Amino acid sequence: MNKRHLLLIVALLALLGLLLLISRPAAELDVPATPAAATPPSPAATPAIASLAKLNGQAPARRALDIQRWQTAEGARVLFVEARELPMFDLRLTFAAGSSQDGTTPGLALLTNAMLNEGIAGQDTTAIAAGFEGLGAEFGNGAYRDMAIASLRSLSAAEQREPALALFGHVVGAPTFPADALARVKNQILTGLELQKQNPGKLASIALFQQLYGSHPYAQPSDGTAQSVPALTRAQLAAFHGRAYAAGNAVIALVGDLSRTEAEAIAAQVSAALPKGAALPAPPAPRAPAAARQHIEFPSQQTHLMLAQLGIDRRDPDYAALYVGNQILGGGGFGTRLMEEVREKRGLTYGIYSAFSPMQVAGPFMINVQTRAELSAATLELVRALVRDFLASGPSADELARAKRELAGSFPLSTASNADIVGQLGAIGFYDLPSTQLEDFMNQVQQLDVDQVRTAMARHLDADAFVVVSSGPTVAQQPLPPPVERPAAQTAGVPEH
Amino acid sequence: MNAFARRAASLLLAALCLPLGAYASNQPTHEFRLDNGLKVIVREDHRAPVVVSQLWYKIGSSYERPGFTGLSHALEHMMFKGSAKLGPGESSRILRELGAEENAFTSDDYTAYYQVLARDRLEVALEMEADRLAGLRLPADEFAREIQVIKEERRLRTEDNPAALAYERFKTAAFPATGYRTPTIGWMSDLERMTVNDLRAWHNDWYSPNNATLVVVGDVRLDEIKTLAQRHFAAIPARPLPAARVPLELPALGERRLTLEVKTQLPSLLMGFNVPGLASADNPKEVHALRLIAALLDGGYSARLPTRLEREQELVSGASASYDPFNRGDSLFVLSARPNVQQGKTLAQVEAGLWQELERLKTQPPSAAEVARVQAQVIAGLVYERDSIASQATSIGMLETVGLSWQLLDQDLDALKAVTPADIQAAAQRLFQRERLTLARVLPLAAAQPTAAETRHE
Repeated sequence: MNKRHLLLIVALLALLGLLLLISRPAAELDVPATPAAATPPSPAATPAIASLAKLNGQAPARRALDIQRWQTAEGARVLFVEARELPMFDLRLTFAAGSSQDGTTPGLALLTNAMLNEGIAGQDTTAIAAGFEGLGAEFGNGAYRDMAIASLRSLSAAEQREPALALFGHVVGAPTFPADALARVKNQILTGLELQKQNPGKLASIALFQQLYGSHPYAQPSDGTAQSVPALTRAQLAAFHGRAYAAGNAVIALVGDLSRTEAEAIAAQVSAALPKGAALPAPPAPRAPAAARQHIEFPSQQTHLMLAQLGIDRRDPDYAALYVGNQILGGGGFGTRLMEEVREKRGLTYGIYSAFSPMQVAGPFMINVQTRAELSAATLELVRALVRDFLASGPSADELARAKRELAGSFPLSTASNADIVGQLGAIGFYDLPSTQLEDFMNQVQQLDVDQVRTAMARHLDADAFVVVSSGPTVAQQPLPPPVERPAAQTAGVPEH
Repeated sequence: MNAFARRAASLLLAALCLPLGAYASNQPTHEFRLDNGLKVIVREDHRAPVVVSQLWYKIGSSYERPGFTGLSHALEHMMFKGSAKLGPGESSRILRELGAEENAFTSDDYTAYYQVLARDRLEVALEMEADRLAGLRLPADEFAREIQVIKEERRLRTEDNPAALAYERFKTAAFPATGYRTPTIGWMSDLERMTVNDLRAWHNDWYSPNNATLVVVGDVRLDEIKTLAQRHFAAIPARPLPAARVPLELPALGERRLTLEVKTQLPSLLMGFNVPGLASADNPKEVHALRLIAALLDGGYSARLPTRLEREQELVSGASASYDPFNRGDSLFVLSARPNVQQGKTLAQVEAGLWQELERLKTQPPSAAEVARVQAQVIAGLVYERDSIASQATSIGMLETVGLSWQLLDQDLDALKAVTPADIQAAAQRLFQRERLTLARVLPLAAAQPTAAETRHE
């Protein structure tokens, strides 16, 4: 017997031992099972959650924000909140430099944004990254349909703050777009585009925006296409940067351990580092498409379903009513009509969500759900029926009352951290909303009645106008399982605010 | 150079002397235990009138037996389906109406439930949490529906996600001896035959106050949390727990090589080395050395993998190194990478490139500049984490639940500073060996690809 055979036998013995251990009932895990719980009490006999009664009905306290606003000499709009508790600050620049500014070169906005930290005078990608990371600072960037963002989080002590800001100014204001980095980043974007082809949800989303927006700039995916990205040139990036990253096209949001004087100096420094120029015009308003139905054949187990129509821009006077209406229909997590009917009563999906995405001009209203392929047709019909019913009848008085309490109760969460606050400031600045926007929104919500919500939803949405895209396999369809009927949801007994 | 300075220079992370007092947590943190064994940890953070409550149970998929995988996660779902005072879905409706963010998560070693809410309504969250700990109903009709939801979750997150599917398969080979091989969501075949009585037994076994840790972070004070915890949890009796052993892997089973064909467009590579975790290590310094190795390789865009493999060699379109030492047992040091196909790079070249980086760690000490960068990131990270009450609570709860102490958070900087360049080389030499390696080549299916997805207008 040679050595190799010996080892094999040892391995087999080890394997047998392993199997024995596993197949033996794990005695130490088997404690006597308790008998099934006694018959649950009927809902009527259910004792209430006693501590609910202790809530005094007042809206909860929240962290007050003293939002300070000004403009830099170059025309950048600045929003600042002083927050001294932690020795750090967040700086977020938001430019109207998203893919809606791509024109005939899809991917230009994304590639320009991705190339900001890939080269400045005298420093390559690695030197820039080492510069931020050696200070413990975090540089962030991203490009979407309306916006492009560049952000910095740093410790606030001068020894970290000052060099981090100087480097940030060069990266955002004077990137050099070196050829070797450009080729590499293009390849990475192409890899990302290739990987999208294995994601049925992403494929459906791309097709949906094309159906919904037709020839409008929002129709193009922000990532560009496999045809457009390779053709983009350094000169195109430099020209796009020169006009889209101009100070007049920028909102500077700043939160953290800074005095007003320090914040003014930072804003002035960042603004001066940017190209000179004015705000870019918003894209034109899109035209509503005809209802449509498209299917993408894909070998997945689930079918992804997306339903959409045009929604609103961020400054629409119906914003509060539609926010509340959507919150009841399918916004957030559990407790919405869609989640209750599709997941909770029928077990059709892990999640179903609806949302308005208000943008510079009408953004989409979208419903998104995935289910096993053989139930996809019936699920789509169920969702259509639920939306139709909601648009026709509106929310119940009870649903509206609960949504108002929910929004009042969650208000303190929206300004709890520096990260939360800088996000709020960026949105207020970008859409040029009043500094009292958070309070104004809350007041508008609390004054809504059922009819206002119903009419607003019906004014903007039409049950027969959906563009619907699905992706998944074609399989024989089955009827839906019967729903579990639960007692109608009662008001939780939360006192009115 | 004086003696102090020489000694400091020899330590990896002590190259700079920064005023750490400004960065270390100065938020009062308290812990106490109820008579029934429930451990409570309270961290005060008074920046905003909000609070996060998390109840952590020491149970997860690594405790599950073959044939019964997915129990912990399915039970987590059923915890929302009614208890003595609450009907199915009612706790979520109440919390939503209160404006709370709530959910739960399950992993190999823990199951946790959380609520983030305005501070005046914390007691409601605690009362409901206690109710489903002590009096879970588990209605059969709700289970019949919910198991369908869980199967949809598995289809969405795993079956139709080639990267997740490949990683699930990879873990079965990388963890031959422990429950860490078990996917937390469970195998589909086990979900098919799971019963509500399995879940009842699982709840009965593991959901006891003496197997749980309550973590509260936010605008609260110790005395009020003591009162609330006492009021809502003290009457729940302690129960004997099943024995559970620290999951220990075979240290050097031998190299395992897999070829996984999935519905992906592009190939990728997974490499995992069987290594200790902090709770299972004989030598904690080796664990901290591995954490620093992960940071040297992938702790930022200036780290070694992005700089050398992604940019200098253009070998990969992306690569990562990860190591989670905060398990109750052994861990895995994982490298993953995707070849740069535009440059014609192959999986074999990527494998060689990753090995080259590992060998470099064995033979050459890190540069002073690299060390300074890692130190700066660690120090700043301690401050940034304090911006989120939820991430503070999660760090505390996770450490406690895997058998470590939350106080490690406050000692972490010192622990990392104590690691020397020699420690790094020793850890790399001992652990980055082929006998500890599981390697998966993840390839597109040989069959024709659905790349040009066919579209049909109706």
